[in-house]
Amino acid sequence: MNTNENSQSVPVAPADQPLVSVRGISKVYPGVVALAEVDIDLRPGEIHGLLGENGAGKSTLINILSGTVSPTAGTIRISGSESTIATPRDAQDLGISTVHQEQSLAPNLTAVENIFLGREIITGRNRLTGVLDEKEMRTRVLELAHEFGLTDHDIRVPVAALGALKQHVVQIIKALAFRTKVLILDEPTSGLADHERHTLFSYMRQLRNKGISLLWVTHRLDELFGLADTITVLRDGRLVATVDPAGQSAESLVRLMVGRSTLAAREDIVDEGRAHGFTGSRDEVVRLESVTRHPLLHEISLSVRRGEILGLAGIAGAGRTETAMVILGADRPDAGSIFLHSKPAVIRSPRDARQKGIAYVPEERKTHAILGDFSIKRNITISDLKRTAAAGLFLRGGQETATAKRFVSDLGVKTSSVQEKIRNLSGGNQQKVVIARCLFTEPDLIIFDEPTQGIDVGAKAEVYRLIYEFVDQGGAAIVISSELPELIRVSDRIAVMREGTIVGELESTGRDEAASETSELGERIISLATRGAVAA
Amino acid sequence: MSIFQRSSRVLAIDGAAVSIVFLIMCAYFAIASPYFLSPDNIHNTFVESVSAVLLAAGLTFVLISGGIDLSIGSNIGLSAAMTLFASMNGAPTVLALLAGVATGLIFGLVNGAFIAGLGVSDFIVTLATLSVGAGVLQVFSASTQLTGTADSSFLALARGEVAGIPTGVLIAVVILFVLEIALIKTPFGRTIYAVGINPNAAYLAAVSVRRTKFLVFVISGIVAGIGGVLLASHLNSVQPGLGGGYELTAIAGCVVGGVALAGGRGSIWRAALGAFFLSVLSRGLQLIGVDPLWFSIVTGAAIVAAVAFDRGAQKWLQSTLRPVSPVAAAATQNAQ
Repeated sequence: MNTNENSQSVPVAPADQPLVSVRGISKVYPGVVALAEVDIDLRPGEIHGLLGENGAGKSTLINILSGTVSPTAGTIRISGSESTIATPRDAQDLGISTVHQEQSLAPNLTAVENIFLGREIITGRNRLTGVLDEKEMRTRVLELAHEFGLTDHDIRVPVAALGALKQHVVQIIKALAFRTKVLILDEPTSGLADHERHTLFSYMRQLRNKGISLLWVTHRLDELFGLADTITVLRDGRLVATVDPAGQSAESLVRLMVGRSTLAAREDIVDEGRAHGFTGSRDEVVRLESVTRHPLLHEISLSVRRGEILGLAGIAGAGRTETAMVILGADRPDAGSIFLHSKPAVIRSPRDARQKGIAYVPEERKTHAILGDFSIKRNITISDLKRTAAAGLFLRGGQETATAKRFVSDLGVKTSSVQEKIRNLSGGNQQKVVIARCLFTEPDLIIFDEPTQGIDVGAKAEVYRLIYEFVDQGGAAIVISSELPELIRVSDRIAVMREGTIVGELESTGRDEAASETSELGERIISLATRGAVAA
Repeated sequence: MSIFQRSSRVLAIDGAAVSIVFLIMCAYFAIASPYFLSPDNIHNTFVESVSAVLLAAGLTFVLISGGIDLSIGSNIGLSAAMTLFASMNGAPTVLALLAGVATGLIFGLVNGAFIAGLGVSDFIVTLATLSVGAGVLQVFSASTQLTGTADSSFLALARGEVAGIPTGVLIAVVILFVLEIALIKTPFGRTIYAVGINPNAAYLAAVSVRRTKFLVFVISGIVAGIGGVLLASHLNSVQPGLGGGYELTAIAGCVVGGVALAGGRGSIWRAALGAFFLSVLSRGLQLIGVDPLWFSIVTGAAIVAAVAFDRGAQKWLQSTLRPVSPVAAAATQNAQ
């Protein structure tokens, strides 16, 4: 950091000094730590890959740098001087531009109009009385447009008429037209055909040669090699590593993303394991046979029995949540069949699934699980209101409160009252309430989708305990997790998914086995999950 | 206890701020016009507020679920026309009443089918049914004079009295009571709030979001239909433009009462209070001799003022109650 402080008096930074230097940046939402003390340096003329699973904190980091989210802690230095990026305008003024994953262009405006949106060039001096100087604006971007393969025609028509690649290019030009030093690209290749991707890559190299620093988020690991100069990997809001791609393979990167480094030992989690195991008859609860849902799922076959935890492994986009949606009835399969308790079943909706003994702990807690304005009590009983209602017709407040209190004490939810609004709880406690909501329906099967995402280590162990207790009492569980050590730890069997199919099923060695065997299993899962999807 | 703490305690009561503004307004009118508190005026104010209060109460179901129903204006007008038409043609009161309620039900079913069934935007669907309903009333009243029924039992629906209280008001109060129970005390009512707070989470938690959305429009339609019946009985005539703009008054009433347009918050009594507030305001303005040309300007300003006071009080509470509540919490813990 000394070099940075010294350079404050020196206007021109040395070539190897970072343009942007982020130190200890954190973002804490009520109940969720989205980003915890992350450091990252962006150098001029560098393509910096940013990797991580969903929820790892990539978006939060990008949003902080582009001024749409303000950090809870940490410092950002731009060319050595400490800066605050409070608004998107600040980011622009500091030379940071972002090409968002979702198109952020106004579809009915032309490329020129989009590029100068809010910064129009006006004839005359007065902004209010002047008129738009369209000729000047066009002239200004023409050179850049030609450089990046846009024709005169392209910049005159509404951008909606352009293809995905050209729309990206318009965004890049928009960034370049205003002295951008740092360009953030959020999954720029999604929606592009192969040859378009390669065109985009050549543009990215061009930008690098101009001395621009690129921060590039992608899910496609194969793209990184030969293009990225540095790769930073985030997991669970934390910085895992900043590495040189030369020493990496796709597999080793996935290992970093899913937590290979901690496969062997995780003393930080106090996991008491399964107390006694389920001793009753291990009947099959759910079975999928060749379930297909275009275009996401192809011929999925799996089954879970009472007293058993099935883990679903795979990288983002492999079809794990989509499989859960089919079992929950939120999505209907195009082909294949579902059996519940060995009988063919059609599951029409999550409500129908509840009646058939299936419950779901959603992946995105804030947007898809909690009812923020509701109390803890109401968040629990919402899954089956008739249970506490008199004659199924009238809610009984006392009964509801008693039920909620029982769950709060059984599950160890830390709160002063069941009347507390759920949004005031920490992430771990919110998750326990969501699990209580599932348990309240007395299901045979619970699907846990990323059950420990964004919650602290202590709460993770408690969530594991709740899963174990559920299956030990005869329930069946499906656990979806991007954290491989977690999946190996909790599962009895692990089905590995890749591109919408199940590519393998492995017996989990579990936590009782030697650490070396566990990591061996992890290696096998990683290679199954990535083979073909990435060029190692 | 300081005056600050006292007043924050009072304001913390649900709906207190709006009630205070309401009472201040009544006090002003009472001083400005001696007639304001006369039994006659109170009687008339209640009778005339019935349709606005009912519309707001029905609409509250839709608003809490996070939706909007603009069609209630032409719904109440057309329902009034249908019920009066039936009575004028010799239908017994029960059948005439059913004709009005059925008209409201049809509005609700059509809205619900398009919105919950086909997923069309509620704003667009109900704007369309508002327009179609108003048009049907125009066409219908162009060919049929709806100038009144001679059936005294039909007229007694709104105009009769029980123990000095107008039957129309009594019926409205009973309906409000039933609606409040349905909203607060039934599983269905609870799901309406859940859908309004977070439809995605509600859906994954096994709530039937589509069914809930469908039913709130049906309820809003039926309640508007009942409003139409009482309005027809009260007026004993239906003009071609009856009900025009009522939907906006109802929405304003809900907002004044504190029903969140964004969904998830509100109650029947708050909506009723807000709608009654606006009725009293317009009556008070007449009494103190304000030029009717100015009514809508004053009403608009009053809506903004009432809402601003309510939200301002809430913000103030949030900033003052925070330091107070840990003390209060400690006090209650010590007491235990």
